[in-house]
Amino acid sequence: MARDEKVAICNGGIFRPDLWHGENAEEGVATAYQDLLKNVPNLTADDIDALCMSYFSDHLNGQLCMGWIIQDYLGLHNKPGYRVESGGSTSIDAIVNAYYMIKSGMFDVILIPGWEWMCEVSVAATNEMIASAADTDWDFPVGGYYNAFYAALEVRHMQLYGETCEDLGKIAVKNHNNSTHWPYSQWVSQHGTAPITLDDYWKNRLVCWPYRVLNCALMSEGACVLLMATESKARRFTDTPMWITGVGLGTDSMRPGDRTADFAYEGMKDEAKIYPDFVDPIKTPYPDMANFASLHIAAKRAYPQAGITNPLKELDLVELFAPYDGVELALYEDMMLCPRGEGKTLIREGVVEYGGECPSNLSGGLTASGHPVGATSLYYTLFLYWQLAGKIKEKCGPNGLQVPDARKALITGHGGTGCQGAVVTFESE
Amino acid sequence: MTEVGVEERKLKVRKIKRTRREAKYKHYPVVEDHSTAAQEYWEPIVNTGLWAIKGYQILKGPCGGGTVEEALKREPKEFMVIDRAAFALYSHSYGLVSPFFRGLLEGKLKGTKCPKCGATYCPPRAHCWNPKCRVADCEWVDLPLTGVIHTFTVQCLAAAPFEHQLPFSMGWVKIDGADTTLAMMFHIPPRELFIGQKVKIKFVPKEQRKGDLTDCYAVAVPGQKVPKWACLQKDPEKLESLEASMKQTIQFIKKRYGIDNSPEVRGW
Ligand SMILES: [Zn+2]
Repeated sequence: MARDEKVAICNGGIFRPDLWHGENAEEGVATAYQDLLKNVPNLTADDIDALCMSYFSDHLNGQLCMGWIIQDYLGLHNKPGYRVESGGSTSIDAIVNAYYMIKSGMFDVILIPGWEWMCEVSVAATNEMIASAADTDWDFPVGGYYNAFYAALEVRHMQLYGETCEDLGKIAVKNHNNSTHWPYSQWVSQHGTAPITLDDYWKNRLVCWPYRVLNCALMSEGACVLLMATESKARRFTDTPMWITGVGLGTDSMRPGDRTADFAYEGMKDEAKIYPDFVDPIKTPYPDMANFASLHIAAKRAYPQAGITNPLKELDLVELFAPYDGVELALYEDMMLCPRGEGKTLIREGVVEYGGECPSNLSGGLTASGHPVGATSLYYTLFLYWQLAGKIKEKCGPNGLQVPDARKALITGHGGTGCQGAVVTFESE
Repeated sequence: MTEVGVEERKLKVRKIKRTRREAKYKHYPVVEDHSTAAQEYWEPIVNTGLWAIKGYQILKGPCGGGTVEEALKREPKEFMVIDRAAFALYSHSYGLVSPFFRGLLEGKLKGTKCPKCGATYCPPRAHCWNPKCRVADCEWVDLPLTGVIHTFTVQCLAAAPFEHQLPFSMGWVKIDGADTTLAMMFHIPPRELFIGQKVKIKFVPKEQRKGDLTDCYAVAVPGQKVPKWACLQKDPEKLESLEASMKQTIQFIKKRYGIDNSPEVRGW
């Protein structure tokens, strides 16, 4: 029996993502924690009941049990604490786990420290270590880094539903230009605040067709902490709590190639009829290698909890976990912002731009603002916290992209090629 | 570490004799052994000491929290950065689907079939994943060396061990008779690639096979017309920009590896 009380994100602290930091992980987390303590001056160690540590890789730093270092470094090593790890899903999974911990009635206040230091090894080695989150017997040995996996997924989606490279370019331009309004952005650190154009996109280096460098997530180092609490405790830490209204989790096959006979999802969506007639039928039409069933089922689990029936209308903004821009487009569909196959119209018609009906990734997201895996979803949740509290201008300066009167928002996160995914919906008071 | 210390360490490393590969668990005597090369490659690396610090650099740059702007304004600090090389040699079992990989050595493709629901898997699954089948044991079936491209990509950027093969296309093939799709490399010019393309599965020469998926690759069944709806064909500009990137990649590989991967030389 879950406890009845609501759960809130009460604030957070940030140590910006960047390509490299002189500080190591524990110092970065401590800096983010300092920021939280500044944002919540009356928070003391005694208030924190437990910690939920969010970091993805042991390989990247050659250090097992990094969570113990973090807890002791913060002086919180007398608290219950454990690590959450699920590839790219790690940081949203930490939020989900903290939510479950509070909902269980066992804990009232949880601190989530999240971090990733991804640049201690070379970019190639990091890619390889990340690729070991894919099936190392079957997918990795044939040229398969995630660049290739995701590119092939996008080619399938593109062939089925007709978006173009230009649509992917538009998403890249949107996200990078959004990112220039977020003063913690890695893109800003590396390239400054000048906006980019579609022309820049076409000149950008091709990685795996159709993806160019600007379409791909960054390698980052960075840390973020979030404070979560029950309704009664939350009031002590914030005047603008961001309530978690819905939480959904889902998983899918390890190998994306198996999703042509994805029996666990059989019957979830009768979509054979929207396949173009030139495509050979497959055993199970959804998700194929085009969409993300784990995230779609997560949304279907979260929306009813939040009372959301028309997500495009009801959500004021969304932060979609998109390590590659085609994922963002597919997630417009899987989050039911539009029917399957129509993701392209949302970017073409400006629906997901700032000022549009449902702006997506106003933070800049993973491809522009940064993707230190264990901190990623914490950053963008904190970004939503500022949005729903109306504090973007205060936090990001006069150029911050505040959505006026934002009340409802959503964040997604996933690991692998959508092997695990989560959706969390938020609401302000 | 002093100069003397470094010298002593080097000597120590040299003195270590080649060791025989230790036997695995007693219930599993070795039937065939093709691991000498891996062992020889690995041994000297292991013997330098996994956690030994190999060197360092001093870097100077921004520190502290806040925004990018705030960090860049602060007095830079110096950081010492050490080089460490940690590895392990994993002996990993292909498990019950080992016959698939042994099939590759013989130039065959095998799949598995569920006796309950009839689904055919390639990649094979030893147990059916259809929830209705209650993890039923699957049976082996021989599959033809033909299939259809389910999806693909063309890689212009990759790291070792694939970099020297750039540019190349790879993707997932639905082997005829199978319900799932298998990842593999393609020897097909990108200009001719399309989803739905019929392919033949070829194998590298027998003496080069290692019993993994790089032993096989797909080539196009000749005589197929590239359809107008193919996503690479719909927009000629896309194809041109891809081919321009591929040319750059070919030049880069020539310079770096001395390998000529141009289609005229490689044949695809
Ligand atoms: Zn079955």
